[in-house]
Amino acid sequence: MKRRITFIQRVDAGFDPEQAVLTASSLSVRNLDAAREDRITVGLDELPTELRTVLEQSHELHLRWASERPFGAVTPFSSRVSPGLHLNYTPLKSESSSEVLCKLLRTVVAPKSDAQHKDCSEQEESFITPPLLSTRFASSASLQYYTHLPSIQSLVEYIQSIFCAQSRADGPECHTWANALLSADSVDIDYDSISHALTVSGLWTSPPTGGWTEVFQKPASDADQIEFGLLGAEGGLEPEEIKMGGLLAVVGQDNKLKPTMFSFPSRHQPLTEPSSYTVSFASPTGLHPTMSISMPRSSLKRPIAPSDATCALHTYLTLPSVIFGDQYQLATTDPLFLESHNLVALRALAGEMDLEAPDWVVQRWGSTWLLELATPEAEDAANTPDPSNWTATIPLHLRYLPPSETGHRTAHVPWPVVFWACTTEDGTKMGVNPFDRTNLGWDGLFGPRTMFYQLQPVGDRLVEEIDVPVLRIEGGDSYFQGKYIEFGTCVAISLGFMWVLWRLVRVAWSSGVGNKRADAAHDKRE
Amino acid sequence: MALFNSPARVFLSATALRLVLLVYGGWQDAHSPMKYTDIDYMVFTDAARYVSKGESPYARDTYRYTPLLAWMLLPTAWQSAAPWSTLTFAFGKALFALSDVLAGWLVVQLLVRCHHFPVERALRYVAAVWLWNPMVANISTRGSSEGLLGVLVAALLWATLTKKPILAGLILGLAVHFKIYPFIYGVSILWWWDAERDGSATASSGLLSKALGFITRSRVKFTAAALVSFVAFNFVMYLQYGQSFLHHTFFHHLTRIDHRHNFSPYSTLLYMSAAGGAETRFEALAFLPQLILAVVALPLVLAKKNLTTAMLAQTFTFVTFNKVCTSQYFLWYLILLPFYLPSSSLIRKPTLGISAAILWIAGQALWLHQGYSLEFLGLSSFVPGLFLAGLFFFAVNVWILGIIVRDGGESAGETTVALK
Repeated sequence: MKRRITFIQRVDAGFDPEQAVLTASSLSVRNLDAAREDRITVGLDELPTELRTVLEQSHELHLRWASERPFGAVTPFSSRVSPGLHLNYTPLKSESSSEVLCKLLRTVVAPKSDAQHKDCSEQEESFITPPLLSTRFASSASLQYYTHLPSIQSLVEYIQSIFCAQSRADGPECHTWANALLSADSVDIDYDSISHALTVSGLWTSPPTGGWTEVFQKPASDADQIEFGLLGAEGGLEPEEIKMGGLLAVVGQDNKLKPTMFSFPSRHQPLTEPSSYTVSFASPTGLHPTMSISMPRSSLKRPIAPSDATCALHTYLTLPSVIFGDQYQLATTDPLFLESHNLVALRALAGEMDLEAPDWVVQRWGSTWLLELATPEAEDAANTPDPSNWTATIPLHLRYLPPSETGHRTAHVPWPVVFWACTTEDGTKMGVNPFDRTNLGWDGLFGPRTMFYQLQPVGDRLVEEIDVPVLRIEGGDSYFQGKYIEFGTCVAISLGFMWVLWRLVRVAWSSGVGNKRADAAHDKRE
Repeated sequence: MALFNSPARVFLSATALRLVLLVYGGWQDAHSPMKYTDIDYMVFTDAARYVSKGESPYARDTYRYTPLLAWMLLPTAWQSAAPWSTLTFAFGKALFALSDVLAGWLVVQLLVRCHHFPVERALRYVAAVWLWNPMVANISTRGSSEGLLGVLVAALLWATLTKKPILAGLILGLAVHFKIYPFIYGVSILWWWDAERDGSATASSGLLSKALGFITRSRVKFTAAALVSFVAFNFVMYLQYGQSFLHHTFFHHLTRIDHRHNFSPYSTLLYMSAAGGAETRFEALAFLPQLILAVVALPLVLAKKNLTTAMLAQTFTFVTFNKVCTSQYFLWYLILLPFYLPSSSLIRKPTLGISAAILWIAGQALWLHQGYSLEFLGLSSFVPGLFLAGLFFFAVNVWILGIIVRDGGESAGETTVALK
């Protein structure tokens, strides 16, 4: 088992050498004002059997969870996913239909009684297949799952009860480490069949009150290792590079913190100027909510990318099945429609596209949409400091949900990510980055040499709640009971039927069934 | 009014109205993000584009029509430069609008020849109900295919009343292939076309001879032609597109859930039961009252008295008692209204007619108000709003249906015209 703890300090954050002290057997930090990434790498053979069974059937498994609390980006950890739990998965054998992954997922997600939650029974039924740029060099996983998940409490419990208890990692450190994930801004879990190793990383973009104060003991076993880094980051010489410098140490091996300085190309880059966006739905949402993405015009300057790069602003929507886009409406090339919504084009889409199905018929979790957004004309942005926001709108639709006692149900729609994607013809490979992050759902829709610049979501909560009107059915003595609807419809139809039949009987009575022209004199009557 | 003296003037103005709407539609589409063109038309033209590429029209989601429609609209898939592309795109709408006018012309012909109307009077009714009806012109120029059904039904009536059983059968087969509901007309036409109608009156009294007497030459021809054309069209389409044709054109209508709000009195119940909330399966029997009336009782009692009124009552019943009902369904019976209205008690007794119109519009307005609250304001108006509005609208329709049935029993039927 290997653990890597990286503290990233802002350039202006104060640091006193007393705040990080290395001894022969431990390293302690005190009141450290820094962001933190904590990553544990475990070999397949070190894992409990239950988990190993799942992983042995996987070619790749990538879990991404992001909190719905807003958090700032920290270079080099500037990439984002929509809040919630994302799972990108490629089975080892494409036809292997296994229930073990779903079983694991159900434990981790702890299904709520929420009617909209798409429980995972078999991955073929609840997962969607993201579009691939090229199946030969698949850069994204073959199956994708998402669910709204405000807290990873059950994941942490699972780690504590299965991972901590049944492996060599057992000990108070394991429980403390797992507990700490509850306060993380994002958590990644990665496995691939080439490295045969499972990686769990947590990211905290800001320190707890008073800073980080913790002691890291030298691991008991020689097979285990703790790496420590205290670094700062800034732009490199080349636009695609990030330069980092600071102190590194391996706890128990090194006897002092070693100063270091290195740089590497990175696909995820910070935007040099503050840039933000907010997401909202115009009220009333009705059955056809329109998602608005608003950005201050000052946020929309092209990033400082290599000069030969082509940059475009994108948004990637992760929509649970209750809300969906009409692919024919959004894929239009009609400039009037696109201009009125500040869209350029629909670039990729995947998942549940049925325009007519109610939510309870849909089995897959939902859909994903990559849209290119329009940006204001360059001279506009430069010359006139326009205080108004630039807003892109995306027309969406709601599925019918099952009846409820209140007549409403709540749909949770995570904020999409908004980013610039800059593509160069030739460029450096990004894989050498020790902090590289891929399999985010949207990154695989671009070439391997694309650079991404994320805009920062600004709001109290990065999930929108939409009130979905549903049929109101109550129990008890209320008038809104299902049986009244059944009874009322039945009576109305029967009465209507009898009335028409009665009219027909009277006609037949007075003139006979087969008879023609009851009265020929009517012939010319007006 | 002098206008109605000349059929040319009436038809030219009807054509002009549609032409103006077509041009306006093209202008609005080109200048506003809110399109004049109907979403369904985008489905048809997308499907036509697939066909032009040698693919199946069912490659387009929600294309639930016969491939004939996509084939007819093939010109809309022609690639051409800017001004021409607008014209080719509008080809289908122009075709639908032309069918409208043609349907109106056929109805005028029938009113004059079979109902012995003076031309002017026939023109006046057809113009008011159909040719100059802005709703009809609007629907076809926006690109809804219901206008094609109008011309098929009018042609079916024309072939029947001019005594061409084979042609009538062929048209009926095509109409049913196009949109299932016209099969109800087959029953009334069959019952109507007895030996007396063929001119060979045989007053037989025995049960056996009566039963044998039912089988007349015209009935056999009509039935055979209808079956041949229906089977042939389906066979060709099945050969071309296989299971997906059968599924989307026919089976879809049997398996669809219809949970969305619509004018049908069943809509709330269907939503509830589709979501698993109903105790009984009453809606599974919904086809019974609808078909007993539309296929058995109405043809039996009314068809021989007045074929067109019987067909109007059948259509009205089919739409009123259907599990789904949207506003385009109202067009189905509009084409038959000019035959019925002139001699109806709705015209003879203005208070009755005006009350019927007011109640029908009120039913629509009530429902639409509730629908708007749900769809755009997000209010949960399913119960009691939409539910009661749907039942009220149903009650109004049933009441009007009763009037049509009574009138159909009293009124004079049409005379047939032999081909010269």
